[in-house]
Amino acid sequence: MMGYGIWIGRTARWSTGLLLAGMAGGCIQVRAPEKPIEINLNVKIQQEVVVRLQQDAKDLIQNNPELFPQ
Amino acid sequence: MTSRISKTAFAAVLLGLGALGASPAMAQDAVISAAKAAGTVGEQADGYLGIKGNVSGDVRSAVDALNIKRRAAYTDLAAKRGVTVQDMAAVTGCQTLAGRVSQGQIYRIGTGDWQAKGAGPIALPDYCATAAK
Repeated sequence: MMGYGIWIGRTARWSTGLLLAGMAGGCIQVRAPEKPIEINLNVKIQQEVVVRLQQDAKDLIQNNPELFPQ
Repeated sequence: MTSRISKTAFAAVLLGLGALGASPAMAQDAVISAAKAAGTVGEQADGYLGIKGNVSGDVRSAVDALNIKRRAAYTDLAAKRGVTVQDMAAVTGCQTLAGRVSQGQIYRIGTGDWQAKGAGPIALPDYCATAAK
């Protein structure tokens, strides 16, 4: 019957989901302490980007003086 | 007064030269340089030129045209570096405020008032200091 088929399908999905959740259990535990580190990395990357942009900005002005008349 | 007249005359001569065949970009830059000297156009921390008060149509169109060119250059670089156009423009603004505003010329930070540069360096926004030369 159709209802039965859906029920089996659901069970299969549920058990797959549970299986994945069980397998992912270790990953979730690892991810939690990572979060503050990630934030620190972001700040560092941002500073690096700003430093790099500063050089780009200098080059831009130097190579295109007509865009920056004094 | 005299200096204003001579600056206007200077700009007029340069405009005339532009009309005689010098490149339009040169004439445009001359209009902007004259307006900067006259204190009606100045650099902004956002990386673009701004206008203080009422200016002639020539000055306005020169400023608009230059800002469009700057935006194109910022957009190009921002795409290469994977940053926003606004960030690229603002970091360039740090550079122009730090090194390309002469004493007496006007500048503006954020939505603040226009200020004339004094003898010392311009007090730059905090984010500029992150990557001080």
